[in-house]
Amino acid sequence: MGNLFGKSKHASRVMDHDRAVLELKGHRDKLWNLQKRVEKSMERDKNVARRLMQEGKRDKAKLMLRKKRFDEQMLAKYEAQLENLHSVISSIEWTHIQSQVLKDLETGKSTLQRINESINLNDVEKILDETREAADFQRQISDLLGGSMTSEDDRAVEEEFAQMFEDEELELPAAPTDEIAFGESGDRIPTEKGTKSCTRIEVLVPDAETSM
Amino acid sequence: MSTQDKFEMPWQYSFPPFFTLQPNLDTRKLQLDAWCALVLSYFRTHRLCVIDVNESQSSPLFSNTTLNRKLSPETISVILDELRKTGNLEWIDKNKRRAWVLWKSVDEWAKVLYRWAVDNGMLSTVCTFYELIHGQDTTEEEFHGMDQDLLLKALRCLEHQKRAEIISMDGNMGVKFF
Repeated sequence: MGNLFGKSKHASRVMDHDRAVLELKGHRDKLWNLQKRVEKSMERDKNVARRLMQEGKRDKAKLMLRKKRFDEQMLAKYEAQLENLHSVISSIEWTHIQSQVLKDLETGKSTLQRINESINLNDVEKILDETREAADFQRQISDLLGGSMTSEDDRAVEEEFAQMFEDEELELPAAPTDEIAFGESGDRIPTEKGTKSCTRIEVLVPDAETSM
Repeated sequence: MSTQDKFEMPWQYSFPPFFTLQPNLDTRKLQLDAWCALVLSYFRTHRLCVIDVNESQSSPLFSNTTLNRKLSPETISVILDELRKTGNLEWIDKNKRRAWVLWKSVDEWAKVLYRWAVDNGMLSTVCTFYELIHGQDTTEEEFHGMDQDLLLKALRCLEHQKRAEIISMDGNMGVKFF
């Protein structure tokens, strides 16, 4: 597609607006170049004018300054033109992005529509109904199974549970036999051994309470 | 310009025998290595890409005016050939008058350019070659002032990787990074 270097087989990703931007940027580059040239020439003219002044050649110095003035005006024009170019380039790129976003939104919308079309409202109702029926059926089964338990069975379960709990309790460690030392102020000075057994009790007691 | 002032020649540069190709092979190897390193760092510091064999004879790189010594054209060609062997030099013309001094390989240049494009949000937009080489936005970049043909080579490399596409239009050269 007009890509002079397009040896590659894939389709060129350079679009018309890219070419337009390139053309505009080419003009911008030329202006940049011109700007550089004029700035350099102004610098030279200024130096020459100064030298001519020192040599007493007032008329020639004035001529140089007039030339410099002219260059200054040109520079302002370049600047304005550059600004123009910049704004056109920006608008091209912006418009392109906008059109792309619009296209993507369009695709998104049609995808959404397609997905929605595949959903039938009647189907949804049917599925929900069926789900409800299945749930009811499950509950009936549970009721039947739950109902087969007599109160006697319940009691047996409770008893076994209590028995298991007692067995657990029997395995409690012995209470600490160490004497607990008290400091002068009455504070307890825990011995190393004492603290250990104390903490063990503290952990176990609330445990037993909660499981009752 | 400031980078150019900072460039310091290595100690060998003030050592007269350095400018004569040494007959002893081991010494010559060391000498050539030192010359290659000097050429590369000189070109890197001055951000130069192209060496012109004729011009280079009088450049401060190969001629030390304080010592009044300079390399003979033969020695220069030996050094350049050595650089070519290490992949740091590529002849531009068949007559071996001009060459690219690749203190960065073409592949590395491609990476630098692509990184710049990514870092500066220049993806999917067109940049002119002028903008890349002489633009105000690239003055800090290593590729500022780069030889246009070398730039083209590096961009071709990116084009091959499908990360850029070169556009040429009425003499306007541009690239679109992806």
